[in-house]
Amino acid sequence: MTSLSQPAGTPAVPSPIGPEQDPGASASPGHDGHGSGHGHNAHGAHADHTMTGFVIFLASESLIFLALFVGYAVFKSSSPLWLPAGVEGLEVREPLINTVVLVSSSLVIWLAERALHRQRLGEFRAWWLLTMAMGTYFVVGQAIEWQHLPFGLASGVFGASFYLLTGFHGLHVVTGLALMALFLVRSLRPGLVLPEGKGVIAVSLFWHFVDVIWVVLFVLTYVWQRR
Amino acid sequence: MASSSSSSPSFDPRMIKEPQPLPGSPGSWRRYFSFNTDAKVIGIQYIAVALLFLLVGGLLAMIMRGELITPPADLVDPTVYNGLYTMHGTVMLFLFLFPVLNGFNNLLIPPMIGAPDMAFPRLNALAFWLFPVFGVILMASFLVPGGPSGSGWWAYPPLSTQNPLGHALNGQLLWILAVAVSGVSSIMGAVNFCTTIIRMRAPGMGLFKMPIFCWTALAAQLIQLMGLPVLTAGAVMLLFDLSFGTSFFKPEGGGDPMLYQHFFWFYSHPAVYVMVLPIFGVFSELFPVYARKPLFGYHVVAIASFAITGLSLIVWVHHMFYSGTPQWMRNVFMVTTMLIAVPTGIKVFAWIATLWRGSIRLSTPMLFCLAGLFNFIFAGITGVMLATVPVDIHVGNTYFVVGHFHYVIFNMITFGVFAAIYHWFPKFTGRMYYEGLGKLHFILTFIGSTLNFLPMHWAGLMGMPRRVASYDPEFASANVLASLGAFLLGVATIPFLLNIVSSWVRGPKAPPNPWNAIGLEWLLPSPPAAENFAEDVPTVISGPYGYGLGQPLVEDQERFERRAAGLKP
Amino acid sequence: MTSTGRRQPSASPNLVLVAAGLGLDALASWTMAQQSYHWLPVQASTAAPYVDNLFALETGIGTFILLGCSAVIAWTLLFNRAPKYDLDDGDPIEGNLTLEIIWTIIPLLVVLAIAWHTIGINHTLATLGGKQRLATAAPVATAALPIATGSPPSAADSAELGPIQVIARQWSWEFIYPNGVRSSELHLPVDRQIHFRLISMDVLHGFYIPAFRLKQDLIPGSVIDYRLTPSRQGRYRLRDSMFSGGYFATNQTDVVVESGADFAAWLAAAERAPLRPSFNEANDLWQQRLAKRNRGWATVPPAPPPEVNVSLDPKNTHEA
Repeated sequence: MTSLSQPAGTPAVPSPIGPEQDPGASASPGHDGHGSGHGHNAHGAHADHTMTGFVIFLASESLIFLALFVGYAVFKSSSPLWLPAGVEGLEVREPLINTVVLVSSSLVIWLAERALHRQRLGEFRAWWLLTMAMGTYFVVGQAIEWQHLPFGLASGVFGASFYLLTGFHGLHVVTGLALMALFLVRSLRPGLVLPEGKGVIAVSLFWHFVDVIWVVLFVLTYVWQRR
Repeated sequence: MASSSSSSPSFDPRMIKEPQPLPGSPGSWRRYFSFNTDAKVIGIQYIAVALLFLLVGGLLAMIMRGELITPPADLVDPTVYNGLYTMHGTVMLFLFLFPVLNGFNNLLIPPMIGAPDMAFPRLNALAFWLFPVFGVILMASFLVPGGPSGSGWWAYPPLSTQNPLGHALNGQLLWILAVAVSGVSSIMGAVNFCTTIIRMRAPGMGLFKMPIFCWTALAAQLIQLMGLPVLTAGAVMLLFDLSFGTSFFKPEGGGDPMLYQHFFWFYSHPAVYVMVLPIFGVFSELFPVYARKPLFGYHVVAIASFAITGLSLIVWVHHMFYSGTPQWMRNVFMVTTMLIAVPTGIKVFAWIATLWRGSIRLSTPMLFCLAGLFNFIFAGITGVMLATVPVDIHVGNTYFVVGHFHYVIFNMITFGVFAAIYHWFPKFTGRMYYEGLGKLHFILTFIGSTLNFLPMHWAGLMGMPRRVASYDPEFASANVLASLGAFLLGVATIPFLLNIVSSWVRGPKAPPNPWNAIGLEWLLPSPPAAENFAEDVPTVISGPYGYGLGQPLVEDQERFERRAAGLKP
Repeated sequence: MTSTGRRQPSASPNLVLVAAGLGLDALASWTMAQQSYHWLPVQASTAAPYVDNLFALETGIGTFILLGCSAVIAWTLLFNRAPKYDLDDGDPIEGNLTLEIIWTIIPLLVVLAIAWHTIGINHTLATLGGKQRLATAAPVATAALPIATGSPPSAADSAELGPIQVIARQWSWEFIYPNGVRSSELHLPVDRQIHFRLISMDVLHGFYIPAFRLKQDLIPGSVIDYRLTPSRQGRYRLRDSMFSGGYFATNQTDVVVESGADFAAWLAAAERAPLRPSFNEANDLWQQRLAKRNRGWATVPPAPPPEVNVSLDPKNTHEA
């Protein structure tokens, strides 16, 4: 969006990539990757475009969560019926452990990314696998919690919003794990990941996104329990 | 979506693309039925399928108007009428207008900015092929037990979650699925269009050298990116309420039916701007060409698009003035809604000023633009009336709104769509259309649409609710006029289809720049080659509307003109 | 590029012409604003004149803008047309900052002025056609016991009649008066504030009386307090304005505004009348449909006609 602020009178310097002459746009990763004079013509799905598109997509995706969060907050603060009969509230301890695991996996995936950047494939795979393990731990923990909850999807608006929120987030975690598995397989043929590592950066960004969403979700559903 | 685009950084999908015959050349029709990743093929695919659904939606409308030509419900059962009007609205919005505008985005954006294709060609093709998928899902709802959804295109709960027959597979479910798939497709498109415009402009084309169509496309797609997620959230909750027994919107489980209305209108009011903004772009492209003048106040017109985007996201409650909205909220949203008149007015005045002291040529696209502009001023005025709370409380949910809405959506947006089809027809088919048939189409459409939608305002002011299958006799005269207009609109499509089909098959060959227009797309041959300028992208050196200024648009303009004309450079 | 055949002398209207045009435009707008009152039903509530005046004001302003813009467009079409085979460009005017500022500021001021004026009307209408949503712990349960038999309004408020329970179903209207009278036709005394309690038993409905210029949705799960004052005697139409499914279009009834004495007499007579099923068009149509082997698309069956003391009579004709 920064490129929108380009003033009217900017002299039109012929440059390989028109928009990238904006100072704002040059902050994007991989700026220096063009050899030819008309780089963007030679590559349909250019790596930079991929990141731009992916960031736009994530921004849009985060608004679904925002809408669900707002819906949850509205229900919680205004609904005449909230907790189903016989339900006191949500148990916090196990989910808290889950949260810590998930959030720290963000650090681990960053380490994986850094390893890849330094061309250390083995180290990359190790960190990458650890991230996947932590993500899997989270999903399994979530599934166990669901099994033991005393209310269901149809138990009033509380049950519905709880399962919708955690379920929709869980879907994203599973998607992230699937993407990571894909790139783990790809890393066995280094040519597919190594040159720029853009796909890995995108997956890593997605994983951070999933984590941040979870933190908000956790605060909203587990921490904010009093009405 | 993420994986397919991010997983192949160094992989160019177009490298495996087969050599493409030019559009319109003999024997090339098959690729219009294939998973082709060329934006120009996809654009024509979008427009063709969308026009097909225009006919479907128009047929539904004509049955409705047949029902409404007399006061009692005597042609079809009221429940059938409800299904017809629900499907009419859904088809026209989700299967005609959004896709046809995506078609123009595909056709126009890459050539206008000098890009060879979209940023993500395969994602683009995928987004298109979802369109027939949700089209079929929606049409299939005519065949399920109980018929299609009959709860209106708003699908307000609790009505929409009543599921009278109790079947797991019902028209409402298919409706929600179709809208959801359409949303996925639109998001894919929006990511693609935004990335393309932000990243792939020709050398020298700063944002303020970009054609207004690209500005408005960007502004519109931003709305998609911000609004659609919210609609998706609402639609998912509605789906759960309908099929899985949750109670998000059911009062008996503590839910709130009003929350759905917020979710729905947060997207669906801005959605009107998603449709109207590209047509603002079309007007801004066409008036300069046919008035032979620079667009008046280019910078302001460009920026006004984003003012509209911003404001469009904070007006949705004006659809809920009479549904229990507190007074302060009504006042706030009334003011924000009325403020939209300002950037919109800037554009209208700029177009009029563009005409002023021009050298006007009244060809078919210009006629559609002029009539569309006139209708839009009228619709804007009724829009401001609807924004003021007391008037809205009287005429809201009456035929006044139906009239206003159709003045925007048909008499302005669809007029703009026709103008765009005629204007760019030679460029992308390589053939000229027949001016006489075009003018006949225009005259019939203008008379038909005015007859159809103008009397509706009167019926609404007198208190005729919208969505009724029968009505009190005092509204008969307005409804007879409206029905006659609707049938005339049906007739008007005949010269249009005749023109398009026969021109494409055997119209005269089009030169590269038949309208003597300025713009990168007119420096390409008609029709353009598969990758537009491919490696040899011109460097833009002046603004997009230099009519009468005598400046070349790009460096080496003559070389590009000669190349487009097929001459040796 | 050269301007050999330029129509310069005639292309710009002179000041006199502009002034005359603006004068004509203003006159036409004034006429149109006066005319706009005839496009609306009779004014039968105290809210109606406010709505109509605002509508007339907007019609006037709107006509001024529409005619003004159209006149300029028409002028360009008459005098700035390119002759056949003339390929010249027009005047290369790229913009005019002053003009652009003017047509940003003036519309801004106009809409803000209308908005300011309307906010004032909103507050007036809030007392004329006010509403308030009751927060109830279990709204559906409240709706199920709607008969507030003889609960009188507070002494200070004795001029007000009510609350009259307005109960909407798919597809019928039922009105329950404070003395327990049930009717499917709404009788109201003229020039007296009425207090309604709006309740929906199933889906969203809209309480809309065009002659009153007032409309309020009925929301399942909420009980909505609503007040208005009829100001003209006559028989008007009450229409369901929020789409409610199957036989939505038939969900209409009559509102009879009568003098205080007539109303009291009607209420007394109604109290003596026995309860019987109301006339209900939706049920009639549903029976017809069942007789014709239930053809048509899915709908919930209509609720049984309400048991009322006074039924709507479809033979009556309404004024608006």
